[in-house]
Amino acid sequence: MRKSLYKAGCTLAGMLMLTMSITACGSENSTENSGAAETAGSGNTAPAAKAPVKISYLTFRVGTHASAKMEEEQIKQFNAKYGDEVEVVVEEIPSDAAYVDKIKILAASGDVPDVVMGKDGINDVLIKGNLATPFNEYLDKDPEWKAAIGEDALASNTRDGKIWSISDQKQNIGYFYNKEMFEQAGIKPAETWDEFMSSNEKLKAAGFVPLALMTGENAWTSNLILAAMIGTNGDNGKSFMNTLHPTDFNTPEMIQALNMMKELLEKYTTKDALGAGYANAANAFSQGKAAMIANGPWMIGDFSDPTKSSEGFDKKVGVAAYPNNSLISTYEVGYMIGAKTPETREAAETFIRFKTGLEGQKIALEYGNVMPVSNEIQPSDALKQKYPIIVESITVAQKTQLHYRTLDSIVYPNVTDAWKNLYPKLVAGRATAEEIAKELTEITGKNK
Amino acid sequence: MVRKNRGYITLFLLPTVALFILVYAVSLVILFGTSFTEWSAGRSPKFIGLTNYIQLFTDDADFRQSALNTGIWVVLQSTIHVAIGTIFAIILSMKEFYWKFARTVYMFPNIISGAAVGMLFLCMLNPDFGAVNSIARLFGNADFSQNWFMDYATAFFSVTMTWLPYAAVVTILILAEIAAIPESLYESARIDGASTLKINLYIVIPMLRNIIGTCVILSGTSMLQKMDIILMTTGGGPGNETMNLPIYIYKTALMDNNFGYSNSVGVFLIGFGLIFVLLCRNLFRIGSSQH
Repeated sequence: MRKSLYKAGCTLAGMLMLTMSITACGSENSTENSGAAETAGSGNTAPAAKAPVKISYLTFRVGTHASAKMEEEQIKQFNAKYGDEVEVVVEEIPSDAAYVDKIKILAASGDVPDVVMGKDGINDVLIKGNLATPFNEYLDKDPEWKAAIGEDALASNTRDGKIWSISDQKQNIGYFYNKEMFEQAGIKPAETWDEFMSSNEKLKAAGFVPLALMTGENAWTSNLILAAMIGTNGDNGKSFMNTLHPTDFNTPEMIQALNMMKELLEKYTTKDALGAGYANAANAFSQGKAAMIANGPWMIGDFSDPTKSSEGFDKKVGVAAYPNNSLISTYEVGYMIGAKTPETREAAETFIRFKTGLEGQKIALEYGNVMPVSNEIQPSDALKQKYPIIVESITVAQKTQLHYRTLDSIVYPNVTDAWKNLYPKLVAGRATAEEIAKELTEITGKNK
Repeated sequence: MVRKNRGYITLFLLPTVALFILVYAVSLVILFGTSFTEWSAGRSPKFIGLTNYIQLFTDDADFRQSALNTGIWVVLQSTIHVAIGTIFAIILSMKEFYWKFARTVYMFPNIISGAAVGMLFLCMLNPDFGAVNSIARLFGNADFSQNWFMDYATAFFSVTMTWLPYAAVVTILILAEIAAIPESLYESARIDGASTLKINLYIVIPMLRNIIGTCVILSGTSMLQKMDIILMTTGGGPGNETMNLPIYIYKTALMDNNFGYSNSVGVFLIGFGLIFVLLCRNLFRIGSSQH
C-alpha cells in the first residue's frame, strides 16, 4: 500500500513538474507580450513598428536545380526591398515532382501556401477548388505591372475573364546541337522533317549518336520533339498543340508523330534513353555523347559549367529552331495567390508583383537564363559576353513563324505522367502508335 | 499483479491510445468513408455508393495488374527473402571465421535508403555505362546492351532483385532468437550424436517457428508499402509491368486527381494486408508455445 502511494506520489509530482515547466514556458512569452503591451500603453507615444506580414512559399528551385540561383537572388532582393512589410517563409522542396504532389495534397485539405506555382495542373486544382484569388483587381490598380507582363502572357492564364496566375517567363524552346559533329557529318539544322530524319542517319553513319532523348520522369526532351512533330503537321496539328486539355489523341498528327518517335528511340538515341531521366539526356549531350538535345535557354549555363560539360564545350554548341521554321513558344503558368486573409493576400501579391515585374524578370534572365515576358528586358552586356548563345537563341526565336506549346503545358498531369510507361510499350512493340493514342485518350478521360 | 497495477497501465496507455485514435483510427474511418465518394482535390466528397468498388473489380485492368504484381511480391518476399535471411542467420550463429565481418557487410544494403538503393541499381544496370553491361561486354560480347529496367523480359526481375536478397532485418531477428535457445539443448543433441545439420533442422528451425512467422508477416507487409525503389527505377513500367498497389494509389490520387477512387484501392490494400496477417498467424501459430 505504502509502495503504491509512493508510486502515485512520484507520478503526480512528475506530472506537476511537467505542467509547471510548460506553464513557465508559456508565461515567459506572456510576460514578454504583456510587457510589450504595457510599454505600448504606458505613455510611450512612439507608434509601434508594424510587424511584417508572414507569407508561406514553397519552392522546388533549390540545390542543383537550374533556377536555384535565380530563386535565391529574387528572394534576397525582395527581402532587401520589402523585408519590413512582408516576411516570406520559404520551405524548400527537393524536386519538381515532390512539389506538385505536396501542393495537391495540401489542396485536398484546402490548405495551400500563400504563394503557389501553378505548374503541372496545380492551377486547375486551385481554380476548381476555389482556393485561388484572381489578379484582375490588383493588375487594374497597377498598370505598370500589367504592362510588364503583357497582354499575351496574361491571356494565356485567363479563364472566363479571370486572370488566375502571373507568368514569370516565356519559354522559347528549340534544340541545341554540337557544331563539330554536324560539321563532320556534313549537315546543318534541318528545315523539314524528312531532312531531320536523314540528318540523323548521316550522324549515325559518321559514328555519332544523333539525339539525347529520355522517356523517364516527364519524358521532357523526347516530348519537345514530339510536340514539334505534331505542331508542324498542318493546321490540325498546330491547333492541337495550342489547345488546353485536348481530350482526343486519336488524330493522324499524333499517330504519325508517335511513329516517328518510335523510330528515333529505336535507332537514333542513346542505349539508356528508355527510362532515362533528364540528367541522363543532359549528360549525354554535354559530355559529347549525342549530337542534339531539345531544350530551352535555361540549359545554356550548363555548357560552360565545368561540373557538367568539358572545357570549351560551350563554343561547340549551336541553337536551332525545329523544322518548318517553328519553335515551341509558351508562357509558364507562373504564380497564384493561395492566401486566405486580405492581409496575406496583399502580401502575396506584393511578392508575386516583385518576382514577375521588371525587376524579377531581369533577375530571372541574368541568373537563370530565363526568357522574360516583357520586351523591355534585354540581356546585359555581361550576360551576352558570358553566354553568346543567349543572343543566338533570341535571334532564332525572332526568326521563327510557327509557334506551338509544350505537351506538358496543354495536357492533364496524368497524361504527362503516362509517357514514361507508354514510350517503352511503343518501342517494345507491345502497342502500336494507334493504341498508344487510344490509351492517351482514355488516360485524359480519367482526370477529375 | 495486473489487477493491482491496472490504474497505472491505463494511465500510461492513454496517450498511445489517444494518438492511435487521432492518427490512425480517424484516418482509417475517413479513408473508408471517402472510398464511397467521388472526391478530387479542392472539392467536397460526393457520395456515389459502391461505384468505385464496382469499377475497381470489373473495369480496371491497371488495378488487376497492380494487385497481381503486389501479390507476387508479397509471396516472393515472405518465402525467398525470409529463407535467405534465416539461412544466413543460422550460418552466422555458428560464429565461424570472419562472421562479424560478414554480418556487417550483409547489413549495408539495409542501412541505405530505398531511394539511394534505387539510384545505385539504376547506375549499375544502366545499359550504356552500367557495371553489369560493361562486364558482359568485357567477356566477349562487345555489342551487349540490355536495358534491364525497361525491357519487358527483365524489368520485373530487375526491380525484384533490388530488395529480395537483402534480408538483414530478418537475419538480426532470427539471430536474436537463436541466441535465446538454451545451450543445454545443443549439448544434449551433441551427446546423442546429432550432426550440425540435424541440430539445425530438428532443433533450431522448429524453435524459430514464432519468429519466422513474425518475419514472414513483416517481410510480406513491407511489400504492401513498397514504392520508393519502384518509382526510382521503373516508375511502374514498362507499360504496367512493375506497377504495384501503392504506386497505383499514388497515381489515381495525385495524377488523376481522383482521391475517392484511390481510397477504394487503399481499402482493398488494407483488407489484403489483414487477410495476409491473419493467414500467417494461423499458419505459424504465432503466440502459441513452441516447446
